[in-house]
Amino acid sequence: MAMRARQKIRAPRRGLNTNKTDDFETNWDDLSTSLKKIHTKDASNLSFEQLYRNAYNIVLMMRSDELYERVKKLEQEWLDAEVQRWVTSAISSVLLQAKDQVEIQDQQNERKDTGEKFLNVLRQAWEDHQVSMGMITDVLMYMDRVISADHKKPSIYVASMALFRDYVLQSVVRSDVKLTVADVLKSTVLFMIQLERSGQIINRPLIRHCIYMLEGLYETITEEESSKLYLTMFEPAFLETSKAFYKAEGRRLLETGDAATFCKAASDRIAEERERCLSTLSPLSEPKIKEVLDHKLISSNITEVINLEGTGVKNMLDNDRMDVLRNVYVLSARVDSKKGPLTAAVQKRIVELGNEINKSAIAAAQVLPTKPAEKAADGGKKPTEKEKPVNQQTVSAIKWVDDVLGLKNKFDKIWEESFRSDVTMQSAITTSFSEFINSNSRSSEHLSLFFDENLKKGIKGKTESEVDALLDNGITLLRYVKDKDLFEAYYKKHLSRRLLMKRSASMDAERQMISKMKMEVGNQFTQRLEAMFKDMTVSEDLTSSYKKHVRRAADPDQKPVDLEINVLTSTMWPMEAMSSTKGEEVRLPCVFPKEIDKVKQSFEQFYLSKHNGRKLSWQASMGTADIRATFHRSNGKVQRHELNVSTYAMVILLLFNDVPPDESLTYEEIQAQTRIPDHDLIRNLQSLAVAPKTRVLKKDPMSKDVKPTDKFFFNNDFQSAFMKVRIGVVSGSANKVENQDQRKETEKRMNDERGASIEAAVVRIMKQRKTLAHAKLMSEVLSQLSVRFVPDVNMIKRRIESLIDREYLERVGEDPPTYGYVA
Amino acid sequence: MASEFVTLVSGDGFEFIIPRSTACVSGTIRRMLDSSSKFSEAVSGRCELENISGIVLEKVCEYFCYNEKNKDQTNVPDMDIPPELCLELLMAADYLDT
Repeated sequence: MAMRARQKIRAPRRGLNTNKTDDFETNWDDLSTSLKKIHTKDASNLSFEQLYRNAYNIVLMMRSDELYERVKKLEQEWLDAEVQRWVTSAISSVLLQAKDQVEIQDQQNERKDTGEKFLNVLRQAWEDHQVSMGMITDVLMYMDRVISADHKKPSIYVASMALFRDYVLQSVVRSDVKLTVADVLKSTVLFMIQLERSGQIINRPLIRHCIYMLEGLYETITEEESSKLYLTMFEPAFLETSKAFYKAEGRRLLETGDAATFCKAASDRIAEERERCLSTLSPLSEPKIKEVLDHKLISSNITEVINLEGTGVKNMLDNDRMDVLRNVYVLSARVDSKKGPLTAAVQKRIVELGNEINKSAIAAAQVLPTKPAEKAADGGKKPTEKEKPVNQQTVSAIKWVDDVLGLKNKFDKIWEESFRSDVTMQSAITTSFSEFINSNSRSSEHLSLFFDENLKKGIKGKTESEVDALLDNGITLLRYVKDKDLFEAYYKKHLSRRLLMKRSASMDAERQMISKMKMEVGNQFTQRLEAMFKDMTVSEDLTSSYKKHVRRAADPDQKPVDLEINVLTSTMWPMEAMSSTKGEEVRLPCVFPKEIDKVKQSFEQFYLSKHNGRKLSWQASMGTADIRATFHRSNGKVQRHELNVSTYAMVILLLFNDVPPDESLTYEEIQAQTRIPDHDLIRNLQSLAVAPKTRVLKKDPMSKDVKPTDKFFFNNDFQSAFMKVRIGVVSGSANKVENQDQRKETEKRMNDERGASIEAAVVRIMKQRKTLAHAKLMSEVLSQLSVRFVPDVNMIKRRIESLIDREYLERVGEDPPTYGYVA
Repeated sequence: MASEFVTLVSGDGFEFIIPRSTACVSGTIRRMLDSSSKFSEAVSGRCELENISGIVLEKVCEYFCYNEKNKDQTNVPDMDIPPELCLELLMAADYLDT
């Protein structure tokens, strides 16, 4: 609007103004004296309107360019003469000895004082210049409008700022030293920062103002961001000195040898530098100085810090120094998203601690092999004591689990509190846990024992949520166990004992456990376990319907024998754990007394009439029986006790029904009549004739061992304070850690089972793919089976060979080796 | 110190007292009154505009108020400007950076 107007009305205006001011020189003289007055801060008498009108008139005379140049010249002279002299005079010789590193204290103070003086003067000069130029620019506004629009020149303000840079900052201080004012400024500011880093208090606002100046000045007239004097002149030097400083600082801190101090100091330094950038220097430098710190102070030292002997991460972990660990974590996270050294240290410590737990568990278990030997020697005089060491092993297994859980808790807490729930850290911790857990070959068994113990006794008197937490803990460990099939085997064995012997404290907890496992490991895993539960319920129904059946067809004159029966699906239950058969040795079934045999037959009849074509095989080793025994005391009294004994013990005791009071049966006779396997027979006889509180039989000779030639008498003098007496089988029923032989056997069974699983997996994959390269087949098999266990590569190879031999597969290519599926 | 009203004085001696914010519609006057500069106008709050006549300055002040009143609105009615003042008003506008 204004521009258009000017062109149209130029002619009449000139006529209007000529009479008043037509002389350039008059106007300029007026103007220049006023401008000088502005510089000397003597402007209050000046009329803006008058100055403005002067400039306006000059511009209207079309001499704006001349005005521009003259103002520039005036400024240049002013800066060169007055301002520069003033500033340089403030530079003392102390400031000129830059880079003098070895400074004595008082010299330092002197330098600080004179430096501040110099900075003050410079800042004053700069601020004055800014104010004056602001005023001058306002006065010359009309000129600026014309000049910058028509001639593409920078505004007078920008031009004068450039003049300040050239004639003040870049002027040489003294003819003999080749230092510019800017150089002195730079070295002075750096010196101040150095002072602050060493703990002295400096005039921050002053420095901030000088930095403002550098930020406000540019290398070029176009004023690009990147050409700020701050960025081109000061920042590189600042970063350079910072690098040197932090390199030295890092070394110094390391030498103090305390990781916690290092981390504390480093964190403080980071905060300090950040604050410095915000309050003293420019926020622009913050990311850059951060990088310097990260690199010089942290990256290059963090590994050493973490591994510092005695105070490093190991020590922090051991002493739960959460805050220090958090510092370490934060520092590591700054420089490395993977936090390599820290994770390595944490992992190492976990594995160390884990191995210690493993070792102590093994050590506790080692105590045993010696003890059983001497135990066997003194023949079980005190069966209660004999049971104790066995339990000790179980206790050690449970202690192992507890220890591992404790460790896990500890690290979970550290992870949450100090590592800010970092995902990388979590996976590192998980890896380490699974590493040491799997390095203990008994972990599956221990874990299963832990569950067994808790489900039997541990959860009594606990609230639902406590039980829940307990089971969850166990499940967490299960997650780490790689050989889940091994765990399943143990769990099945322990579960079957719990179910059949009614040892489980709560069926709800059992079910809960199964469903938890299902969620964790999958359906396939728990299938058989669930089938076991199903068998139990089916058996309950069966028992009650059999009872009804018996009552209907009952022989009124015969005392009925109550039968409670569990019919188990043989594929689902760990039969091998129940019967003590070894190898292929064919064992004749135990001979039941005729009363029992009758019941047995009647049940078989009943069962087979319901389910045709099934085969029942009786597992006497797992049962119990209640029998009422009558003891004829030598003084003529009669005492009755109800005895709760194992099925075998019942069979043995019933033999004595047919034996006259004073006669005996030898071990061999008993065995011949009952066909109870040696192993079970010995144990049962021990509990009947040797255990001090349950001595229903007398043995001759009276020793702890049971020998084939021993004779057994019915003990009519049996005493007990209770009406009901429970006679446990020596070390028979408790779930305990396996001994060496049992373990070997379990492993062998496990291997067979794994072989079958591998074959199944191979066939499944090949059926689907028809042909597949060896490497791919391997990886697919591994991934399919990894849920249950980690297959051995050699085993897979052998299985593939065997499948080829049996013509399920064929080789179809050699390079790369490829297999085809034979339909 | 800065009072809410300022005085504008025309070349032929007419004085117009208007709110400071209104006067600052003009870039020139705004700078003139800028309190960080120590010009006499800023100190006294009195601006003598020598090359603007009273008639024109009156119209200028009217425009200042009109501008101030309508600055945030759309569909503003036109201001009535007598044709004989057009040229001088345009010159004043250029001078005052309005």
